[in-house]
Amino acid sequence: MPATLAKLKSDARVRYAEVRFVEDRTEKLRLRDGRVERATTGNARGVAIRVLGPKTWGFSCTSDLAEAAIQRAADRAVETACASSAIVANAVVLPERDAERGTYATKVEIDPTSISLETKLAELDRATRALKKGGPKIRSAEAWMDWARVRKHLLTTDGCDVAQDFTYGGCGMHVYAVGDDGRAQRRSYPTWGGGDGFQAGYERIALLDLVGNAPRVIDEAIALLDAPECPSGARDLILESSQMGLQIHESCGHPTELDRALGTEISLAGGSFMQPNLLGKLRYGSGMVDLVADATSPGGMGSFGWDDEGTPGGKHALVREGSFVDYLSSRESAQALGKKSTGTMRAEGWNRTPIIRMTNVSLEPRRGSLDDLVADTKDGVLMATDKSWSIDDQRLNFQFSCEIAWEIKNGKRTRILRDPFYTGITPEFWRSCDAVCGPEEWKLWGVQNCGKGDPMQVMQVGHGASPARFKAVTIGSSGRA
Amino acid sequence: MRGSDLLALAKDVLATAGEPDAEIYVRSRSRGVARFAMSALGQHMQIEESEAVVRVAKGTRLAEARTSSLDPASILEAISNAARVAAIAPEVAGFPGFASRDDGANFVSKEDAPPRRASSTANATADDRVALLAPALARVKQKGFTSAGVLETSAGAVAVATTKGCERSHEDTMASYRVWALETAGAGGASGFGSSMHRDLGKVAIDDETDRAISRCELGRNPRAQDAGTYDVVFEPAAVCELLEWLGMIAFGASDVEQGTSALAGRIGEKITGDLVDIRENPVDPSDLGFGAPFDREGTLRREIPIIEDGVARNILTDRTYAAKRGEKSTGSSVLSLLGGADLAAVALHMKGGSAASVEELVSGMKRGLYVCRLHYVNGMLEPRRAVMTGLTRDGCYWVEDGKISHAVGNMRFTDSILEGFGRIDAMTSSRRAIPTWWSPAGAYVAPAIRIRQFRFNGKSQMPPSLT
Repeated sequence: MPATLAKLKSDARVRYAEVRFVEDRTEKLRLRDGRVERATTGNARGVAIRVLGPKTWGFSCTSDLAEAAIQRAADRAVETACASSAIVANAVVLPERDAERGTYATKVEIDPTSISLETKLAELDRATRALKKGGPKIRSAEAWMDWARVRKHLLTTDGCDVAQDFTYGGCGMHVYAVGDDGRAQRRSYPTWGGGDGFQAGYERIALLDLVGNAPRVIDEAIALLDAPECPSGARDLILESSQMGLQIHESCGHPTELDRALGTEISLAGGSFMQPNLLGKLRYGSGMVDLVADATSPGGMGSFGWDDEGTPGGKHALVREGSFVDYLSSRESAQALGKKSTGTMRAEGWNRTPIIRMTNVSLEPRRGSLDDLVADTKDGVLMATDKSWSIDDQRLNFQFSCEIAWEIKNGKRTRILRDPFYTGITPEFWRSCDAVCGPEEWKLWGVQNCGKGDPMQVMQVGHGASPARFKAVTIGSSGRA
Repeated sequence: MRGSDLLALAKDVLATAGEPDAEIYVRSRSRGVARFAMSALGQHMQIEESEAVVRVAKGTRLAEARTSSLDPASILEAISNAARVAAIAPEVAGFPGFASRDDGANFVSKEDAPPRRASSTANATADDRVALLAPALARVKQKGFTSAGVLETSAGAVAVATTKGCERSHEDTMASYRVWALETAGAGGASGFGSSMHRDLGKVAIDDETDRAISRCELGRNPRAQDAGTYDVVFEPAAVCELLEWLGMIAFGASDVEQGTSALAGRIGEKITGDLVDIRENPVDPSDLGFGAPFDREGTLRREIPIIEDGVARNILTDRTYAAKRGEKSTGSSVLSLLGGADLAAVALHMKGGSAASVEELVSGMKRGLYVCRLHYVNGMLEPRRAVMTGLTRDGCYWVEDGKISHAVGNMRFTDSILEGFGRIDAMTSSRRAIPTWWSPAGAYVAPAIRIRQFRFNGKSQMPPSLT
């Protein structure tokens, strides 16, 4: 890599270049009803080259680590940059910066590679067996565990030299219960679809207590089969912590990505209603709403030392007391607004170019417990665990459904409600937030599969949140659709 | 790499490994991706991807290992890893073993394989892509709009070999163009979309689709708010394909049937939607609408599989294991998992067309309703058993009055059962379009434009009256 970097540095057509080595070793285990659905190990490694040519960018990559192959990849990157520069009017301008050097590593107490596969499979097997104790209505029970060890080494022509070593994990389970009428209900723990990802070691698995949570998961899944449908209309809505994570992801994380706002993500993801002319002016939420992008959150899937441009990870307010104050940005996009990068450029792997991604975008806690909040609610609904998610290309109109809801009457949880969903317009929804629970309820969730980019890239990001309450939200039941 | 090279590599490695029961799926792809936005070509990538995926069986114990490196030593290491895991993995009930020489004729790009490759695409350079894009970007700019989109040219090869003598290889190319004309760069407003794909770059309709995007954007200016309600609607093929993608994900796979969430579970042979609906998996279509490899990752030769015929559920999609459990022949639907999801997927869903000569004919049969060009962020997880989906319109939603498009409306949200909605289809165009799937560089679904009576739109996208 150093030889390739030196050659790029001496190429008159190249104004800036990055050479990035990535190795991604993965282990994915999934059991369903006691049998293996997936037992996969993976090793993806290669070198990515991004160059800023006469006017714009070029990119290429190779999984062949021989210096000659890396050099050929660099040549291809320069070719694409030069070809594009021929039809680009305005040259990309990057601000000068200090050269970053250093290392970063996930804090790991128990290295997951030190735990045998037998132990991991046995953990999952115990969980699915516990779930199947729910009887014939439990049609299927699934448990999974994913691990990834990612090593990156970034060299840039302006002197950055940073090496990072990440350990990501995720683990969970779910059941499908099917009623006499053929309708199916899913219940998950700790949340759906690997949404409880983390950056840590095997020590996190014991904290999950899959088997200990199985009876509750079973009971709730079976109760949902005969539960009444969630009512329709405007209600005070409490979202539990993991659903708050999804809400933040879709309605704050994505719209504050500056590439979306500027229009460079149209070919897949869309734009954003949070336009630069609204910075400092947009009333995004109520005064209860403080949203931050924090790449330094301990254990967060979106934590790192430096992004893939070599910008140090930091903590940046996006929404302060309800006001929109900053973006997730890159060096190039921030420069367009006369600002500094907030350090969020990341690539899925060795074969993708970095794009703006969320770090850990989180809602700062306020005070009180979930029980306090329920007790303070006269007539409302508590919804939990993401089931479906949909939001428009400007990130305004959203509709999310959850696995389960509880009716709240006079400060008490009463009955379970099935097929709940809620819908709204992003700033109206966040402006209706009148309570956010305290630090004791705050949990940092990890999303392992945030999709963006073209070609598609999947990224790990984090969201921390306490439960929160929103006034007069439109709710309903998908069973009536 | 060529398909024959990949197959030779796979066979050599299998012979060297000495593992008695193993399978190798190996692929490589060279992708030139010119992505433009804000009327400028800002991301231009030449991506060289490769992957070997090996599976080793110990009886009915099975494990998989992957490597991005195609050097023999890396693949041998992967085989060793898979063998280590397979030895301790729980058994896979019903696993029938890997494909053998007897599971259909082996072939290497035989003449009877569907045409999937064109040298014009395989040989396209960065300069070629720029030369094709320059006039398109200029054309959008000349109309006062901002352009965005992507032109991709890619060439790939795959091969499968098993220790039981199954040997397959295949090559393809894909040229795909998607373009937007936008009133603003990223802040919403009118937008128009066009797309074209073909294995032959020379047959990609760049000019026509750029003009389509421009005209749709012009038509989308000054949208009026439309209240939520139940409306007759015409969906263009791109919108229909988005619904088909979700049907494929939640309903057509044996895994979803087994866990009881599929709308087809227990309903094979029953009428589940309208008489006009015919949906089939067809990766072997030899026409210009055909995309997809003629075998799956297990080496099973693919064939046309009717899934819904005349509204009746006929088949579900299986791999070798699910097929064995059901006493059926695999449909060749085993794929490499996407986003950690299912390993079963439809790769080339085709919806049969109707008799309408044009979309104008569909519109002319509506007193009032909506005309929808595309859908955005559809999700089918609400109630999969009924295929209830929600999503939004994008890049063109127009109000129809007295059989003609009257004006643009803001984006609308729908929430409805798609199978019940398809049950209210009363007309479709005879012509169909291939729409690239977002998750595969070489895949596409095919659909006509359709007209559905009384489709449920339950919301609209709009800026709040006050933002500050």
